Amino acid sequence: MSKKVLLVDDEAGFTELLKMNLEKSGDYEVQIENDPTQALGTARRFQPDAVLLDVVMPGMDGGDVQAQFQGDPILGNIPIIMLTALVDSAELSEGAVAQSGSSIMLPKPVDLPLLLGVLSNALEAAEEV
Amino acid sequence: MEPVSIVESVLDNLPVAIFAKDATDDFTFILWNKKQEEVTTIRRAKALGKNDYKLFSRESADYFRSVDKAVIKRGKLMKVPDEILETQDGEEVHLRTVKIPVFDAATQRQLVVGISEDITEQVRSREKLESLNKTLTEANRELQETQMQLIQAEKLESIGRLAAGVAHEVKNPLALLLLGVDYLSQGIDPDDQNVDKILGQMRDAVERADRIVRGLVDFSSQRALMREQTNLKRLLDDVLLLIRHELTRSNTAVELSVPADLPDVYLDLSKFEQVLINLIINATHAMGKTESPKLEIVVLCEDLQGVVKNQGARKKEVFRSGDRVVHLELRDNGHGIDSKDSGRVFDPFFTTKATGQGTGLGLSVSRKIVALHGGELTLKNRENVKGAVAKITLPTKVEAIPGKQGSKKVKDVDTNASKLA
Ligand SMILES: Nc1ncnc2c1ncn2[C@@H]1O[C@H](COP(=O)(O)OP(=O)(O)OP(=O)(O)O)[C@@H](O)[C@H]1O
Ligand SMILES: [Mg+2]
Repeated sequence: MSKKVLLVDDEAGFTELLKMNLEKSGDYEVQIENDPTQALGTARRFQPDAVLLDVVMPGMDGGDVQAQFQGDPILGNIPIIMLTALVDSAELSEGAVAQSGSSIMLPKPVDLPLLLGVLSNALEAAEEV
Repeated sequence: MEPVSIVESVLDNLPVAIFAKDATDDFTFILWNKKQEEVTTIRRAKALGKNDYKLFSRESADYFRSVDKAVIKRGKLMKVPDEILETQDGEEVHLRTVKIPVFDAATQRQLVVGISEDITEQVRSREKLESLNKTLTEANRELQETQMQLIQAEKLESIGRLAAGVAHEVKNPLALLLLGVDYLSQGIDPDDQNVDKILGQMRDAVERADRIVRGLVDFSSQRALMREQTNLKRLLDDVLLLIRHELTRSNTAVELSVPADLPDVYLDLSKFEQVLINLIINATHAMGKTESPKLEIVVLCEDLQGVVKNQGARKKEVFRSGDRVVHLELRDNGHGIDSKDSGRVFDPFFTTKATGQGTGLGLSVSRKIVALHGGELTLKNRENVKGAVAKITLPTKVEAIPGKQGSKKVKDVDTNASKLA
C-alpha cells in the first residue's frame, strides 16, 4: 500500500517538483499544502503517514505547524521532517540528520537520496510503534 | 632746505607713484615723487638725472624703454600690464601703471609721465582668497568622499543584516533546481508531461537566484551615483524580493499601490535600493510588537500647483510650481516616533535601538541619497492611525544631467557636488 506524504511549504514550485520526484521514486501518494495556516486542516482530511515541513513561511512558521500537529491526538505521532534553508549542511554532520524533538531536520536544498532514505526510515520506525 | 613748489608738495602727498622722463634727453628722470621713492626704495636725489639703465636691471630697463617709445609713438595714454618690481631690499611690489605722453611746449621737451598704483595688497588678498577657495574646494571634495564612504559603511552594515535572508532567498531557487535535476537524471521519458513544466520552473529559479545575487552585487558596489531611467514599480518589486525573508519572518503584510501611468524617475538603482531597504527595515523594527504588522507602499504622481497643499516652506525651496513630482510613501502601523525624538531621527548615529541592533545611520544616509537625487525624504507620525510614514518626493524630470539623451546611464556626482556640502 502506498504511503501518504503531506508537503507543507509556501513555495509552490518547490512542492510541485518534490511531489513529482517522490511519486517517481517510490510508492508515495503526495498532497501539497502551500498555506501553512491550512496545514492542520488538510492533514486531518488527508491523514498522511509523514509530513515534510518548511521552516520559514509567511503567516506561520514551521515550528508553529509542528506544535499544532503534536497537539493533535491522531497526527501527534506521525513523523515530521523539517526542511530549512537556514541551516548549513556543514552544521549537520556528514549528511547525518539533526534530531529536534520528534522531528527530523534536513537542510535545503534537499539531497533527494538523503531525503528518500530519511523518509522511508521514518515511516518504518513509525510502523513499528 | 630747498623751497618746495605747491605742485611738488601736492605730488608728494598723492597716494600714487608719479614719475616723468625726458625723452629728448635719453629718458632721464625729471620727476620722482614720494610714493615712487617708497615703491622703488630709490631716493629722489639718486633717481633724478638718471635713466632706467642706471637704476634698474638691464632686462627691466629694456622693457620700460620699449613701453616709453610706444607711448610717444602712439601719442596717447597706455595702460601697462601689471608688473612686479623687485625693490632693492628684495621685496616684491605689484604695480599697475599708466603712461602718458606729455609735450612741454615751454621747453620743447617730450616727456613720458608715469602713474603707478601699488596693488600689492590687492594681489596678496586675491591670492589669499584663491588659496582659501582651493582649500575650501578640497575640503568639500573630502567631505563628499567621506560621505560616500559613510554611505558605503552603512551599506555593508545592512548587507550583514541581509545576508541571512539572501542566503535563504538563493537557497530556495537552488532547492528547486536540484529537485529538477534529480527528476530529470532518472531518465527522460518523452511522454512525461512533467518535463516541460520542470524545465520551465528550473529556468524561473535560475532567473530568480540571478536577480537576487545581482541585486546584492549592485547594492554592495561602491561607485559614483549612476542614474538610470527607472520604473518605480519594478524597483519596488526587486527590493521586496530582496527583503522578502525579513518581511516573512516578521509576518508583515505588504500592500503595494502604484498607478499604472506613473512617469519614470531617474535613479541610481543600487543607492535607491539601499534607501528603500533602510526604510522598510526601520518599519519592520517599529512594528515588532504590532499585532498584525502591515506596510502600505503608496506611490502617487503630482503636478505641483502655486500653493502646495500640506507641505511646509521647505518643499518650495526644492521644487517649483509646475514641477511634476512622484511621492512614494511607506506607511507602517508600528509604534511611531516619540515626540521628543521627532527632531533627531535624521541625525547621524541617533538610534533608539539596543546596541548592536542599530547604528543610527540609516535615515541620515538615506536622506543624503535622496537629496543627491534632487528629492526629499521625511519621516512623520501618521495622522489618524498609530504608526509612521516615510515619504520620498522625487522630481520626474532631471535637467541637471548632461548628456541624458545620449546615454542611458549617467554619471552625475559632480553636478550634485554642491548639494553635498
Ligand atoms: N518607521 C519608523 N517608526 C518609528 N520610528 C522610526 C521609524 N524609522 C526610524 N525610526 C526611529 O528613528 C531612529 C533612527 O533611524 P535610523 O534608520 O537612522 O537608525 P536605526 O534604524 O536606529 O539604525 P540603522 O543604522 O541600523 O538603520 C530609529 O532608531 C527609530 O527610533
Ligand atoms: Mg534604520
